[in-house]
Amino acid sequence: MVRAGGFMESARSVLSYRESGVLVALVAITGAMFVISPTFRDPYNLTIILIQMSVIAIMAMGQTLVIISGAFDLSQGPVSGLVAMVTGMMWSIFGADPAVAITAGIATGAACGLANGVLAARFKLHPIVMTLATSTIFTGLNYFITRGRPVIGLPDPLLEPGAGNVGPVPTPVVIMLVVTIVMQFLLTRTLFGLRVRQVGGNLEAARRTGVNVSATWLAVFVISGILSAIGGIVELGRVGNAIPSIGLTLLFPIISSAIIGGTLLTGGSGSMVGTLLGAATLTVINNALVVLQVDIYVQDVFQGALVVVALVIDQFRRRELTVRDLIRSDL
Amino acid sequence: MVQAAGPMSIPRVELREISKSFGNVRALRNVSLEIHPAEVIAIVGDNGAGKSTLIKILSGAAHADHGHIAVDGKLAAISKPQDAQNLGIATIYQDLALFDNLNVAENVFAGRELTWSLLGLRLLRRRHMSVGAHRAVKDLGVLTLQSARPLVGSLSGGQRQMVAVARAIGMSARVLILDEPTAALGIRESRTLLDQVRRLREMGLSIILITHRLPDAIELADRIVVMKGGEIAGIVRPESSTLEDIVELIVRGHKAKEES
Repeated sequence: MVRAGGFMESARSVLSYRESGVLVALVAITGAMFVISPTFRDPYNLTIILIQMSVIAIMAMGQTLVIISGAFDLSQGPVSGLVAMVTGMMWSIFGADPAVAITAGIATGAACGLANGVLAARFKLHPIVMTLATSTIFTGLNYFITRGRPVIGLPDPLLEPGAGNVGPVPTPVVIMLVVTIVMQFLLTRTLFGLRVRQVGGNLEAARRTGVNVSATWLAVFVISGILSAIGGIVELGRVGNAIPSIGLTLLFPIISSAIIGGTLLTGGSGSMVGTLLGAATLTVINNALVVLQVDIYVQDVFQGALVVVALVIDQFRRRELTVRDLIRSDL
Repeated sequence: MVQAAGPMSIPRVELREISKSFGNVRALRNVSLEIHPAEVIAIVGDNGAGKSTLIKILSGAAHADHGHIAVDGKLAAISKPQDAQNLGIATIYQDLALFDNLNVAENVFAGRELTWSLLGLRLLRRRHMSVGAHRAVKDLGVLTLQSARPLVGSLSGGQRQMVAVARAIGMSARVLILDEPTAALGIRESRTLLDQVRRLREMGLSIILITHRLPDAIELADRIVVMKGGEIAGIVRPESSTLEDIVELIVRGHKAKEES
C-alpha cells in the first residue's frame, strides 16, 4: 500500500494541528514586530522575553498536567511565592548553603502539592475551590513567616537559576527547555502519562479499567507543586530579591498559556510543547504591547481577549460549536 | 449412557435457577440457561423482562438471591465485575467505556499496557501496542482503519464498538455480552457489525446479544431466549420460528398455537 500521507504523518507526530496553529501565530507576530520595531528586535529585549516566559512556561507545564488529569491547581502562584521566601530565609536566617536552601524550597513546593493532592484525591474536594482555599493558606503562611518583609542581598549562587547563564544561554531558558522535554516525555511516553490522560479523559472508564485514580491525582499535584517551586526559585533570581508578593500575579498567564497552547479545560487532552508555544505567544504579545507603548489598561484588554479567542477556537475543535450554530439567530 | 467428554459437551457458562428480587419486585425467577463455545444467543424481551438484571448478575454488577453460575463446568463465584473479567466474561455496555481522547492502540490495550522499565519508570511500548491493536481490530474484520493511531473519538459507531470488543478479547474474554450493540448504528454499520459478530463466533467465542431488533436476533443467533416477567418464556431456534412466533412469545409469554 502506498503511504502518500507518510511525510505529513511524521510532521504531525512532532506538532499537532493545534500546535502548528499556535506556532504560525507566534512566528507571524514575532516577524511583524521584528520588522516594525527596532526596540523589539534588540537582543536585550529578546532575552527579556525569553526569561519572562521561562517562569510562566515552567509553571504552566505543571498546570497543563493537572488540567489534562481533569483538575485545576489555582495555588501555583502562592506556592511559588512561599517557596521563594523559604529558599531566601533558609540562607538569611539559617545560613544554609544555597544548594541546601534550593532543595528546601523544592521540598516545600512538593509538600504544598502533596497537601493539594491529598485533599483532591483522598478527601475528593473540588479542585478549583480547594486550591483557591489552599492558595490563601500558602499566601497566609508566606506573610506569617516573613511578616511581609523581603530578603535582600542574596548570594549569586541562589540567583543563578533565574539570572545566570549556561554558555550564551540564560539559565532559566535552559531550565525551561529541560522541563519541557521531561514533561512531554512523561506525558506521552510513560505509563504514568497515559494514566493521567485516562483519568482526565473518562474518569468512569479509568476506574473500570482499574486505574488508581487517587494515586494519579496525588502524583499530578505533587509534580505541579515541584514545578511551581522551580518557577519560584527562577523568579527569585529574575527579581533579584526574595519578595513575598512573588507569584501572586502568575495565575492568569499560567492558565492562559495552557489554554492558548491547546490544553482542553475539560481534561484528557493537551501538550507541553503547546503550552511552551502558548507561553511564548502570550509573552511576545505582552512585550509587543509595551514596546508599541499601548496604554497599560488596554494591554489587559488584549490579554483577556487573546484567551477568549483561544477558548472559542477550542469550542470549535471539540465540536461543541459550529459555524451554523453561530449563524442561527436563537441563542 | 456415557456422554463424550469433549469440550462441546460442557457449556462455557451455565446459569442454574437464578432468582433475584428488588424489594417486592421479582426481577428474575428461576432462570436457567447455558451458553456453549462458538454459540451466539440473543436475549430478547420487553422492557422490565429481566434481561438487564440477568446480564448484571453474569457480569458481577449485581448478586443473585438464589441459584448458581458455573463456568466451564466449575462453580463460579461472581461477586464483582473483576471476578467476571477473571473468568473471561466481558460485558460491553452501550456507553462502551472507551477513552475518546486516546488513540485506538491506547484503548485496545487499556489496563494491560505494554511497557518496559527504565530506572523504575515504566515506559510505553507504543509501536508494539500500535501494531498489536491494528492487527486485533483487523482480525475482527474492521478493514476501514488504516492504523491504530486515530483518536477513538473520531471513529464511527461501529468502529468504536469493535475497538471495545478488541479490548475485551485482549483481556482474554471468552464470553462477550453485547448490550444493544446496533442501537446507535445506521443500517449499513449494523450489517457490518453483525458480520463481525459472526466472525467472533468462528473464533470460538460465546456471545450473548441483548437486542431490541428481532431481525438481528433471527439472522444471527443460534438460539433466541425470550424473557417475560423475569422468566424465560421460551427458547427458540431461528430456523424453526417466525418473527411472529417470537413477537407472540414476547407479548403473551407463550406461542399463539399453544393456546388452542
